[in-house]
Amino acid sequence: MNTLLLAHKGAASELLQHVQGFIYPNELNLLWSVLIVLYPYLTGLVAGAFIMASLERVFKVKSLQPTYRLSLLTSLAFLLVAPLPLLFHLGHPERCFEVMMTPHASSPMAIFGFVYAWYLMAVLLLELWFDYRKDFVEWSQTATGLKRWIYSILTLGVRDVSGKALLLDDKMGRAITIIGIPSAFLLHGYVGFIFGSVKANPWWGTVLMPIIFIFSAMVSGIALLMFLYLITCWVRKVEVDMDCLETIGKCLLTALAVDFSVEALDWIHRLYVADESIDVLVLLASGKLIYSLFVLQVFMGMILPGLCLAGMVIYKEGWKRRQTVYFLCSVLVLVGIFAMRWNVVVGGQLFSKSLRGFTTYKLELVGQEGLLTAFMLVLLPFVIVSVMIWLFLPRKDLLPAGHATGGSQET
Amino acid sequence: MPRQTIPPQITRLVLMTVMIVVAYFGARYFLVPESFGQYGWYRADALKDYQALPIHYGGQASCVDCHAEVVKKRAKAKHQHISCETCHGPLQAHVEDPTTVKPPKITDPKFCTRCHERAPARPEKFQQVVLADHNPGQKCTECHAPHLPTEAP
Amino acid sequence: MNPSPKTVSRRGVFATLGKLAAGAAAVLVARKVRAATKQVVTTPAPKGYDPFKHQWRMAIDVDKCIGCGSCADACKHENKVPRDLGYFRTWVERYIIKKARPGSGEARGETVVDSPNGSIGGFPPTRVPKDEILKAFHVPKLCNLCANSPCDQACPVGATFRTPEGAILVDPKYCIGCGFCVQACPYGCRFVSPVTHTAEKCSLCYHRITRGLKPACVEACPTGTRIFGDLMDAKPDDPLVQFYAKNKLQVLKPHLGTQPRVFYAGLDEEAR
Repeated sequence: MNTLLLAHKGAASELLQHVQGFIYPNELNLLWSVLIVLYPYLTGLVAGAFIMASLERVFKVKSLQPTYRLSLLTSLAFLLVAPLPLLFHLGHPERCFEVMMTPHASSPMAIFGFVYAWYLMAVLLLELWFDYRKDFVEWSQTATGLKRWIYSILTLGVRDVSGKALLLDDKMGRAITIIGIPSAFLLHGYVGFIFGSVKANPWWGTVLMPIIFIFSAMVSGIALLMFLYLITCWVRKVEVDMDCLETIGKCLLTALAVDFSVEALDWIHRLYVADESIDVLVLLASGKLIYSLFVLQVFMGMILPGLCLAGMVIYKEGWKRRQTVYFLCSVLVLVGIFAMRWNVVVGGQLFSKSLRGFTTYKLELVGQEGLLTAFMLVLLPFVIVSVMIWLFLPRKDLLPAGHATGGSQET
Repeated sequence: MPRQTIPPQITRLVLMTVMIVVAYFGARYFLVPESFGQYGWYRADALKDYQALPIHYGGQASCVDCHAEVVKKRAKAKHQHISCETCHGPLQAHVEDPTTVKPPKITDPKFCTRCHERAPARPEKFQQVVLADHNPGQKCTECHAPHLPTEAP
Repeated sequence: MNPSPKTVSRRGVFATLGKLAAGAAAVLVARKVRAATKQVVTTPAPKGYDPFKHQWRMAIDVDKCIGCGSCADACKHENKVPRDLGYFRTWVERYIIKKARPGSGEARGETVVDSPNGSIGGFPPTRVPKDEILKAFHVPKLCNLCANSPCDQACPVGATFRTPEGAILVDPKYCIGCGFCVQACPYGCRFVSPVTHTAEKCSLCYHRITRGLKPACVEACPTGTRIFGDLMDAKPDDPLVQFYAKNKLQVLKPHLGTQPRVFYAGLDEEAR
């Protein structure tokens, strides 16, 4: 919060100068900062990346096979970081255990702790373990040094890699992925519900909020996967599997179209129903949020990449150029979805619940909730995912099934 | 004797699940406060904590014992229903130690206008003056005794 | 029968007994540790007051408020609320409704609302010229004591709760400072304190009313705008009961279904 800022005398009155119209006195300091913007952003990336993994596993979209493990690892890396911005934001981070010890059943935030734990432990880790178990056993014998230790521990002492055991692994993996799909929807739908359930705030309190969050999560997750796949291939000098990339591109286009439609529906509904909040919300969108909403989120993050991706479906020339365009699209979408989270979280606090005015948000550079912290928290999952790729993603896993011999054969 | 074996992966995971569940309930046993849930989903002792907070406004009853003459004087005044602490500020410390802790003197001439300057949002019936037109340059207390404003001090 | 029957050996019995004893010792130790842990978390202060025998309520007579700000000031004194802008447990708003532009055919013009420093120190003269004002009034704000309180619903840990007598409190020793309740309150009655880093709000001066005193704002109000009483112990001539009986009452933002229990008399539609 802005306590550091307020410690300086006159800072509050300076803030007051940026207030337009009337706000309730307690609304002067915007409470949920950029860290709470990150929280749904990171969670969305988790859910989206996981859904791509399940497309391959459950729906047998074989062309996505080169990104199967990458998407699971991405999902895990971002899931591990997702609660950190929440934790940093708490007034008393040392009391965070209370959310698990005495969860208040009526609070979406409390139940989120359990949804998160379920998703981490019952879905992602289990699926990864069953998928990797055979490799862990193999690698713990072939690798050396630290890696050997890590792989050994990860086998959890189960070294049975007989055909029967592997068959069971595969079955369990499939079953968990099937449970995983609704779980991923639940995870991010729940984040949407945390905002959607706030009836005090007309910008947040809409039944469409969980749906919007789910589809925007898929959009951002798919874009992230595209981004990471291209980067990983380029860094490792592995040939990008164009078939896989095109499939991801089509998925992204579809998800973008659905996301755009749902968000458009939300606006159409708001404008048509025109309840008491519509005046202030239109002012918000056309004033304080004009750049982050219309330029960043809608134009740069949706329309532009949407048109590019649609164009790529029609014109199929130049694979090298296509990679570049896909890469740029993924970056645009990732920035656009970040802008979307910003517009929801910060935008929802810029207008007063009296619907009569606006406060302002000044992003600090340093400090507990400053830009620097936010930047580190965005970077952290990428660091984790890099380590994971180094540990758990041999080159062969990035190649399509035709190249990788699959089964038991070594590369 | 052929034995139906449970696959080792499964036994390992079941074991870990049991460990996690035991750890969770173990942690709850230690970390949930004693009075939690006594009245509802909260720490019932928080009520006692609140009750134990110190007070700063002593309340009207704590004034009348010592300051009977003011009460008597105010009896005829429109100010009679106003609590002493409305004007004189929080006085619990004064009640506890009347000799050393004295309420600050009211000297600011703006003090009266905070209530009595004419303002459009004030109820019509309420006594208001436009200070700039009402004997400018004079102090309110030259003509109005604060405890009985209809009379001179 | 396939599995061989269990043989009971002396050694087995001793082993079992030993395990039981060890278990019992472990439980004893665990209890001690638990008691010690809890000692740190809580310090009870017993009192001869039964929260189940009261129902405290406040009501607001808008037509009496003169906007002097004594209530907001007293609240900050009594509850040690930070003096900075942006932290108020109670405050007063000034509504000035302008006349409609001549010939516009409207019932009334724009509404100008303000609450400089939450009304502490009174309101400065309004900038709206006198002849443009249709009507004007003050609206004191405080926790609405919602029967269906969204803040309490939102608290993830059970740090915000409704007391048996109807006040809604925040447990400062248990609040994690997530701010969800601040977002959930439609009335802007909550804030996260820069001092304690926990959520704070109007406590109905719980420490005062349990001692038989009035809340500080009620004590400080010079005009009787704030009416306070106990519905469990109300005689027919109780000011609160009289207020309920004699006025047409309203609540703030009734459409949200929060069921506020702070009733206002003389409220205008513009107030929210």
